[in-house]
Amino acid sequence: MKLRRILYLAAILVPLLIVFTIDVIRRNVDIEVGPLSLIRDLLIIGAMILVYLFFETTKASRDQSPTRKLGLILIALIVLVAIGGTVVMAGIEGFDLKGGFLLPLDYGTVFSATFLSVLLGIFSVLVMRVLRDLVLYRRRRWTRRNLLIFIALLLITAGSTIWLDPLETSYLTRILFWLAVVFAIVNSFRLSWIVYLTKREKIFGLIYGFFLFVGFITLNIILRSGIVSKSLLYYSYPLEQFVSLACIFGNIYFGMAFVSTLFHLPTAEAFDRKASEVTSLHNLSRLVTQVFDFNELVETVTSMTLQVCEAKSCWLETIHFLEEETAKVSGNKYSASGNYSVQIVGTKNISQVEIDVLMPTAERTLRDIVLEERRPIAVDDVRRDQRLKLGKKTKTRTGSLVVVPLVSHSGLIGILYATKETEFGFFKDDVEVISAFADQATVAIENSRLIKESLERERLFREMLVAQEMQRKLLPQSLPQFPTLELDATSTAAFEVGGDYYDFAQLDEQRLGIVVGDVSGKGVSAAFYMSEVKGVFQALSRMYPSPKEFLVKANEALASSFDKRSFVSLIYAVVNVTSGELTLARAGHCPMLFIAKDHVEYIRPPGMGMGLGDEAVFANAINEQSVQLNPGDVCVLYTDGITEARRGDDEFGYDRLLECARQSRGNDASAIKEHILESVKSFTDDQPTHDDLTLVVLRWQGNSATNKIDIS
Amino acid sequence: MSDFKIEYRETENVNVLELKGYLDAHTAPKLEDALQSLLDKERYKIVVNCKHLSYISSAGLGVFMAFIEDVRNNAGDIKLTNMSPKVYNVFDLLGFPLLYEIFKDESEAINKFFEKKR
Repeated sequence: MKLRRILYLAAILVPLLIVFTIDVIRRNVDIEVGPLSLIRDLLIIGAMILVYLFFETTKASRDQSPTRKLGLILIALIVLVAIGGTVVMAGIEGFDLKGGFLLPLDYGTVFSATFLSVLLGIFSVLVMRVLRDLVLYRRRRWTRRNLLIFIALLLITAGSTIWLDPLETSYLTRILFWLAVVFAIVNSFRLSWIVYLTKREKIFGLIYGFFLFVGFITLNIILRSGIVSKSLLYYSYPLEQFVSLACIFGNIYFGMAFVSTLFHLPTAEAFDRKASEVTSLHNLSRLVTQVFDFNELVETVTSMTLQVCEAKSCWLETIHFLEEETAKVSGNKYSASGNYSVQIVGTKNISQVEIDVLMPTAERTLRDIVLEERRPIAVDDVRRDQRLKLGKKTKTRTGSLVVVPLVSHSGLIGILYATKETEFGFFKDDVEVISAFADQATVAIENSRLIKESLERERLFREMLVAQEMQRKLLPQSLPQFPTLELDATSTAAFEVGGDYYDFAQLDEQRLGIVVGDVSGKGVSAAFYMSEVKGVFQALSRMYPSPKEFLVKANEALASSFDKRSFVSLIYAVVNVTSGELTLARAGHCPMLFIAKDHVEYIRPPGMGMGLGDEAVFANAINEQSVQLNPGDVCVLYTDGITEARRGDDEFGYDRLLECARQSRGNDASAIKEHILESVKSFTDDQPTHDDLTLVVLRWQGNSATNKIDIS
Repeated sequence: MSDFKIEYRETENVNVLELKGYLDAHTAPKLEDALQSLLDKERYKIVVNCKHLSYISSAGLGVFMAFIEDVRNNAGDIKLTNMSPKVYNVFDLLGFPLLYEIFKDESEAINKFFEKKR
């Protein structure tokens, strides 16, 4: 690339040196002009084409911003004027007129004229090159065509003078020249690049444009003046035409550019804002991808708020409306839109102290107003605002403020604040932009929340499956078998995991322990408590065969592991499988349903739930009760899922259970179990129950049963 | 189903919460919030009127257990009143009458706070 450019430079120099040599010789020897002059002109034209090609190799300049291009031309112009001026002052003696030809007076004039002309030629090529880029900045239908016509006219005008003597003029050339000027004017309306400049660039553009305009006027005046004009004409008529037209084009174009920039300047800020607005709204699409991380989302929203309205600082609050009851009880500040709690989730360039100054908690703040009116509010002067009531001497770095509610379809979810240091910092369209932005942010925040919720639901669902599996494994997998005793048991978990539990333990050869319980709470925590209860039951029941003693010890063992609001209700029966004596103790659980031959009843020894009172109170509360079972007697242990099974506002209740027992008197254990479950089911119209259903049914067969089994 | 409301009133410096509807695992947080906000304001004389309480589950009972220790440590109490037989039965099965003072009438409970003082 570098080599190519050096070659270009060399190629440019060669014809120019040849021309210079010819001129020097011509100064001395009178040579026949005709063909030599043509060759000279062609060499110069060739050199200028090479200059153009040389500029084409510098591709990078094409992507420069228009302002930089203007700057480039301005620098070139200054350099040209400086060097050219010096040369004119120093070297040119003048020309003699001889038969329509210009004859330089000395060699210095030859050199200076050559140098000046080449300089002007290169400058003109550069000007054309830059103007081409500017004109074609935003291409419309005729843009390219008009420019090509102008260039064609330019070249034809220049070319038409090849055959003319330096001081000769032709009508054709003149007509072409003025046509070219017309098209120069036409092309000078292609100024669309100005619109896309930022305000800063426009100001620079304006300054450059002004100096360029003035510079080109000066240049054009100089070009018309005797010595420079003569130098150019002496050097090359076509080049003179080319330089003239290029400089006229430059003059008109930059003049137009200056005026146009001037007119664009007042709207520059608005255009900038629109542009940044477009960028920001475009960036909003990024928000969608960030909804998985709330903090990241808040960061983006706050930093983009600063961008969209060029605010100094901003902060974002989320608003949580409290339940009505809680609100009344807690007696918090109550706005017409309900009671709420505020959490500042993100800040930019502002401290909590500053926020507190602007939003005093005691009074009715802007926040309340926005909550009620649900529309953006702009405060032009925070110190004098009637709504803020801050007072003129308030120490704050904030001058103006915009408060925008984030309203989603489910209601108001937050408030966005933006501040500026100056008073009257936010215009109407600022507020509109920030509101539009807030709408987008609301959607993103709402989505973020919904995604979080659905992930949470998914997590809970998995947790529930684990808990259900755990619960299922904690229940006995088979029923103990005794010749004197018929047993059946069932436990169905409700749609969520409950805390129902039943278990058996063979205490010794004579005695069987049966426990039914209910752990408060649901889900995994209930399942964990249940596993703890199972451990305690299996360990302690054999050590403390008395039901009361067992419950007291179990309460001591369990008390430490329960939190304040959790407790366990248990009912514990110990049956002597030989004698049929049943001893019952109850720790806050539902009473035992006893179905005898001639009556049904609840047996309810006094007691208290485990984990409720302290150990002494618990021990005092518990008392055992014993029943002597007769063959055919049935005991039913169950959980409150049975009695509290609901149909509308009605509960299955103890009376229906008792009636149910009365009906199924005389049946075997399984039949009684089925009957109770069926009754509950038909009572709830097959609706899924909201609690677990657990039943353990024990039927005392007595010695007759033993005989039966012996026979079989 | 899970209709649950709390009415709050203050009588002679005693804070009365009147519960209405179903108090179960889903609605228990409401009662929890209400009691917590009373405690936050250092109000420890609390009467819970259960006149319109139609159902209470173990989670609902757990709420009282969660707060009673704090309340009593601050020379206050949670007293329960006006229970329907059904609701009373739930409290009774679990042995709550051994732990809490349960009154037939709200005013009895309120008076009880002042008797103690004298």
